[in-house]
Amino acid sequence: MFIIEIENLSHRFEDGTLGLDRISLQIQEGAFVVVAGPNGCGKTTLIRHLNGLLLPTVGSVKLAGVPVKHDLLRARCLVGMMFQDADSQIVGETVYEDVAFGPENLRLNRIQIGERVTQALDVVGLTDFADQSPHLLSGGEKRRLAIAGILAMEPKVIAFDEPFASLDYPGVKQVLKQILALHQSGHTILVVTHDLEKVLAHADRLIIMQKGQIVRDGMPAEIVNTVETFGVRAPCASLLGLEVQSWLN
Amino acid sequence: MAELTAFSFRPGTSLPHRLDVRFKLFFLILISLISLSGDFSGLGILTCLLTALIIHSGLPLKSGLKGLRFFLLLLLLVLLARMVTTPGDALLEIKSYAVTRQGILSGLLICWRLTIIVMLGFVFVFTTRSLEIKAAVEWVLKPLTFIPGKRIATMMSLTTRFVPVILNQANETAAAQQARCVENRKNPVYRLIRLGIALIRRTFERADKLAVAMEARCYTENRTDPELSATRTDWISLGVMILICSLAVSI
Repeated sequence: MFIIEIENLSHRFEDGTLGLDRISLQIQEGAFVVVAGPNGCGKTTLIRHLNGLLLPTVGSVKLAGVPVKHDLLRARCLVGMMFQDADSQIVGETVYEDVAFGPENLRLNRIQIGERVTQALDVVGLTDFADQSPHLLSGGEKRRLAIAGILAMEPKVIAFDEPFASLDYPGVKQVLKQILALHQSGHTILVVTHDLEKVLAHADRLIIMQKGQIVRDGMPAEIVNTVETFGVRAPCASLLGLEVQSWLN
Repeated sequence: MAELTAFSFRPGTSLPHRLDVRFKLFFLILISLISLSGDFSGLGILTCLLTALIIHSGLPLKSGLKGLRFFLLLLLLVLLARMVTTPGDALLEIKSYAVTRQGILSGLLICWRLTIIVMLGFVFVFTTRSLEIKAAVEWVLKPLTFIPGKRIATMMSLTTRFVPVILNQANETAAAQQARCVENRKNPVYRLIRLGIALIRRTFERADKLAVAMEARCYTENRTDPELSATRTDWISLGVMILICSLAVSI
């Protein structure tokens, strides 16, 4: 079953720039997809269409068969999004409050909110930080907090926009482990990045974008050797003709 | 890791942290009104109360006063203005200006009052979550059906929430400019403009990112608010506060 169906999607910004150009794409439920491309190629614009933060100029985006624009609330519950700048995503004054932000917006009662927050903090291993100020967390912990905030909405798809940007090595491993755990628990994962090295070993599909269009789409092993043509650095191992290894090994 | 400014909520277990926000809001208004009309002895009592609250809640006074340096400068200007504009017994005469005894007393009184109000606000923000402030404002405005209470409360809570973020941003921008020797420019207007433009631009960018992130998590004005419930401690605190305020007024 396709959880995401994008058909002939184009998006033109207010200043006339074409952000996306006739994109068609289907993503299976439970897939692990990496979307790569140079800066400004439309990766972020594409994933922002998945939960209605941006709406198509032309074409359609469907989630589990229903067009996003018909029910934005449903779309935002189905697709959780982690933004590149984790700091600007933090709205709560404590870790607990930040995770509770989404369920509060859904007007759940306090018991339901408490259950969701406790479970989400447990999944990302931040239970002991519940009463701490989010701004005092490390980079990796902030990303995990952002993930907890998403999990509390109980989404089926999670889109990560440059999840490893400006993280140190332990931070990258923390976030990567979390992403894999979410995939194993049945979530559909979309990782938007220009840095394939850290995540490609785990993906079952690689999409390369350039100038608002999809220029390659397939199994990572089949197309990884062509990515440098499109301004994306290929993983070191593939340049040496080896299999790409996980950063967790 | 980020460094928090003193003007932000910090979780804690002190009495002000535990009080119902509606009571805290009432205490804030009550003490502010009394300090505006109080004289030296009344302000002395309120200052004792405030000192006890500051110590008990663990307020970071040192970093707080550093953050309040511009306010302290304002107080100094108020004092100077009062000293030379209030008629009375002249203590010192410089050209056509006379520093009067009444002026000094009046200036000190005003500065003391303003300090009490600002420090009270400091304690309030330090011990109260913005979500609770929103809920309390909504509760207060509920009977006034012609006022959009939810919207006002949301705006207030977002403002109190983001003042520390903006101050943090200002510190970072100032540090970045100091690293490029902005202090060699002696003209304060030039420095202010340089800082102001960069700060405003960053603040708007940040606000924009935040708005998108909030939208992605289904933000709405009609959210689940914290449950407000008055406990025995709140009512006892109310009694004690009324007693202290009556004492401050009657002395």
